[in-house]
Amino acid sequence: MAEGPRRRLRLVSTLLIGIVVVIVAQLAQVQIVDHHFYKDWLEEQLKRPIAIAEPPRGVIRDRNGNLLAGNGVMYSIEADTAYVVDALTAAATMGPLLHMPAARIEQLLRSEAPWVQIVSPVSKEVGEQIMALEIRGITVKPLWVREYPEGRLASHAIGFCNVEGAGFYGVEGFYDALLQPKQVEWEGLVDPASEQIPWVMAAVALPQPGAELVLTLDRTIQSLVEEELARSVQECQAEGGTIIVMDPRTFEILALVSLPSYDPGRYNDFYVLDPLPFEDPAVSQQYEPGSVFKVLTVAAALDTGLVTPETTYYDQGWIEVGGLVVRNAFREADHEHTVTDILIHSLNVGTVWLSTQMGPDIFYRYVLAFGIGRPTGVGLAGEVAGQLWLPEDYERWHDSNLGTNAFGQGLAVTPLQMIVAVATVANDGARLRPHIVGQRIAPDDTVSTFRQAVEAQVISPQTARMVTEMMVRTVEEGVPQARVEGYRVAGKTGTAQIPIPGGYDKEETIASFVGFGPVPDPQLIILVKLDRPKTSPWGSKTAAPAFQRLAARLFVVLGIPPDGTQVAEIAR
Amino acid sequence: MSDFVQWVTHGVKRGRFEVGSRTALYFFALVVVLTLTAALYLMLVSQTAARGRHIQQLQAELFRFQRENEQLEVEIARESSIHRLWERAIELGFAAAERLEFLPLADVY
Repeated sequence: MAEGPRRRLRLVSTLLIGIVVVIVAQLAQVQIVDHHFYKDWLEEQLKRPIAIAEPPRGVIRDRNGNLLAGNGVMYSIEADTAYVVDALTAAATMGPLLHMPAARIEQLLRSEAPWVQIVSPVSKEVGEQIMALEIRGITVKPLWVREYPEGRLASHAIGFCNVEGAGFYGVEGFYDALLQPKQVEWEGLVDPASEQIPWVMAAVALPQPGAELVLTLDRTIQSLVEEELARSVQECQAEGGTIIVMDPRTFEILALVSLPSYDPGRYNDFYVLDPLPFEDPAVSQQYEPGSVFKVLTVAAALDTGLVTPETTYYDQGWIEVGGLVVRNAFREADHEHTVTDILIHSLNVGTVWLSTQMGPDIFYRYVLAFGIGRPTGVGLAGEVAGQLWLPEDYERWHDSNLGTNAFGQGLAVTPLQMIVAVATVANDGARLRPHIVGQRIAPDDTVSTFRQAVEAQVISPQTARMVTEMMVRTVEEGVPQARVEGYRVAGKTGTAQIPIPGGYDKEETIASFVGFGPVPDPQLIILVKLDRPKTSPWGSKTAAPAFQRLAARLFVVLGIPPDGTQVAEIAR
Repeated sequence: MSDFVQWVTHGVKRGRFEVGSRTALYFFALVVVLTLTAALYLMLVSQTAARGRHIQQLQAELFRFQRENEQLEVEIARESSIHRLWERAIELGFAAAERLEFLPLADVY
């Protein structure tokens, strides 16, 4: 070979070898020497924690498995502007479906922000239509939305869940942490659309939905109770009311209704109301119970052995306690009455006589044991303790409280506290914890069942049966409006004055009735409370008939045959 | 002239490399091993990516089914709600039983 080509060949070879050496050296530098630097740099840019598809909130069912709160799907329409190829066409296509001007959508798609939300939320149908269009750069992101398929049914007991997935009021509020889904965050390399890069295999724990709650409510009973309360409120021209139905053997709440109510699926529409209707009056509003409270005073007096149902006292129509003169509601006077008469005729004087006979220590010991003055722990958000001043509270308690408290004045209870106290009598004197959640079912199907325990044996079973018989006579002789044909029921009315600054409202009352049956094996206890009824201020004229109608229907619904009958039924 | 340049120059002169058969065998084996390693690596990476993608698709499908299940359950519940059942019963001509009578067992048997 001539010298010239040889030299050129040598030169080219040297250059090529040099280039290869430089490339190899650079590769070695990048891959080996600076490996960690570049790895960290990459991760810094692309490694991000992302939430794996959000699981649903735990559902809520009634005792028979009927869905009360579930989860529906809606969509958020979003755009990754860098990936949108034809903003004009995309906007024109989506505009009519989203009911938005195409120009507005185009403006959003052409914005400089890397990511924009076009509209949220849209219905399932619209979301799926947009998804089917497969427009490049448009993301259709599913969103959970809380649904209440029964509408207003049990709204106060259930509560509601807002668009951010937080529960408020009722069971939704109280058990919010339990109902919340367990979000799972995956941290790793993601693409510009925040999707996992598929060639990076990473173990991902699937997100878990929230725990499922099975309530003790029965939607059929709940529905019947709502119907009855609406009827009573309308007929008595009351401002509102509450009915609670409970099983006195287990203290399971079968129905919990208050009016006015709201639709939890449209809770936003109700924010214009004043007062807001969200709080459950059954646990959040307190009232002076009035004569229903006499049941507790009589029970305490009998249990201490101070009196028997036949013990008599002379009723002169008034009694003085702590400087306060207490009179009977109907001014009955100059009679010798038995202790049973105190309940039958709802005698204030006799009740005060009993409480003064017991003295404050014994009387308040029983009142506290019945659960008055503290939350019941039912498991509903916003439960209050009520109001009970004790003799130790020198500034607030006065000697006269011993008298007024005995017939349900000067103290305040929630409707739930009141029904729990009377249910204690129905349950042979044993107070259990009222509850509305019967079971919790974890995402792995582990079932936790509510375990009931006796919180206090307030009065002896013998005393409880004596008081029950006195309450049966109260219905039969004193409140015929509450009698249920074919069943022996026990009950007591309450007509409570409403405290206002400087005294009590002269005209308006809170009328109530608490009754249970069938005696001697009560399976149902019902509290009816009507707020400010206009047709009559008396519980016997307003709440007692509501109890009668409701009890008659519920005995049938629950398959409880009339006294002395052994089953087989036909309907006409 | 360096040995290397001379070696290359010889190469240009049509194959007069002084490479022994053993060296050639080692070189060939090295090339084969490197090629196989690279191929294996590529195969694993592509398989991992394909499986990763498949898992992503399965996950997406799982979540889609979960959403559809939840939605369906709500729709079923709405259609069988107390209010809806009442409406349907009325449409079908049912009426609420106004009075129930219990028959004593003695009257039945």
